[in-house]
Amino acid sequence: MSDPAPFAEVGGMSEAPNFPLRVVDGLTLPPEYRKALRPGEEWKDATGFPRQLPRYFYEVPSWDSAMKIELASHFLLWEFIQVDVREAPPLRTFPRYVPCAITLLAVCLERFRDAVGTLVHISANGGYRSPSHRFSKNATPHAWGTAANIYRIGDTYLDNRSAIERFSLIARQTLPGIWTRPYGTPTGYAEDHLHLDLGYVLSVPRDVKS
Amino acid sequence: MPKKEAPAPAATEMVPREHELREQVEKIEKESGAQAIAVALRDGETGLELHYHGDRWFHAASTIKVPILLGVFAAIDRGELLPHSRVHVRNRFLSVVENIPFRVESGRDANSAVHNAIGKMMRVDELAYHMITTSSNLATNLLLGVIGPDAVNRTLKELHVDRGIELRRGVEDELAFEKGISNMVTADGLLKILVMLSEGKAFSPALSRRMMDILHGQEFNQGIPARLPKGTRVAHKTGEISTVAHDAGVIYLPKRKPYVLVILTEWDPAASGRSRTIAAISHTIYEYLTQGPGDE
Repeated sequence: MSDPAPFAEVGGMSEAPNFPLRVVDGLTLPPEYRKALRPGEEWKDATGFPRQLPRYFYEVPSWDSAMKIELASHFLLWEFIQVDVREAPPLRTFPRYVPCAITLLAVCLERFRDAVGTLVHISANGGYRSPSHRFSKNATPHAWGTAANIYRIGDTYLDNRSAIERFSLIARQTLPGIWTRPYGTPTGYAEDHLHLDLGYVLSVPRDVKS
Repeated sequence: MPKKEAPAPAATEMVPREHELREQVEKIEKESGAQAIAVALRDGETGLELHYHGDRWFHAASTIKVPILLGVFAAIDRGELLPHSRVHVRNRFLSVVENIPFRVESGRDANSAVHNAIGKMMRVDELAYHMITTSSNLATNLLLGVIGPDAVNRTLKELHVDRGIELRRGVEDELAFEKGISNMVTADGLLKILVMLSEGKAFSPALSRRMMDILHGQEFNQGIPARLPKGTRVAHKTGEISTVAHDAGVIYLPKRKPYVLVILTEWDPAASGRSRTIAAISHTIYEYLTQGPGDE
């Protein structure tokens, strides 16, 4: 939490002084970022229903800061922003931008961790990924910062029906309104991780007036 | 589908030395019990070439990882990838048959480094190293997932390797195997790639050298290197499934230019002596090249 990154006002906004990341309006970002993040745009989900993408983001200045910033007692920011070569090139270098709703996901995962009583590991590409990520074919809550793919809990790999269904049940019992992907191989199912999400939640920081 | 077998060139077309070497390989083949053997050789020192059933097609087994390595470095050359680009390690792939998901069994990879990273990320150069040196199938499919088989095939065309390599899918795609969809190679096809690498002509001398460095790290040395003198350096790639055993590489001996050798063999699944046969052919060729004509 000692990262010196500023939380200065941007575009008339400021963020609470106890959180070290500044909020940015995605519409004010340079074109290459706007193209990749598509702030505020509509994006259709797999059923064809339009969803509105996040417009406000936390700016993450460096990997070093991501390694230090706690989003919850047992979750650091870096765990939510690990993406591989399939992410759009501008979004693989710093500063990085992550939707403001990421903090809600972190709180939920902290509560889930309490319930399972051990470490919860988010996979690479399994936290926030942009709508331009090569895995993002339709609107997915991953692009809202409200979904996590969990591949391991403690020493248990979630790569089989028994483990996935057991922890899925715990998640649903612990987190009202959470959605978990059912076990299976067809599209919309998962058989090598537990996917959980809060839906297409938009978080608009308090100081944003527009 | 490529034709299954092509006749070897007639003996009358060959120079006497090549004819002599061909007879020796033929003798080893007869004694081995192998169903088929192909050998391709190009000696950088003397210019001698041998193409013994060089255009016969074989199941590629893990030798297909050499063209895939070429495809990865083509992406690096184009700036689409960096050696330190990170790749999500996930053990889930889609068969070319109806996109049915499959996994790579951890027991099939010689070390557990890549499997231990499931859920995390590994660098492109780390995956390339594991793909070649311990023949990691998981690393292979991950890299192929990033670059795509079509890109590898385009690369081969751009490098004028238009015959002798058929990349059709990732590895351990059992459904595809059952349907007869397999990666195929000829000895001549692999020879062309390895000659290009050894001469520094794949993209650039620097990138060729990086690929050769990876091939030098090969940990399976029961084939081509097994009966060569101590101190011989061999940059190579093996490949083995129930019905084939291959080895393809570049052999560096002191005080002479290297030679490139590809040995492909096909067997009854119950047969033994595969590595011994490859080692015997390699040793015969070594002796032939180093003793010179008339020394025997």
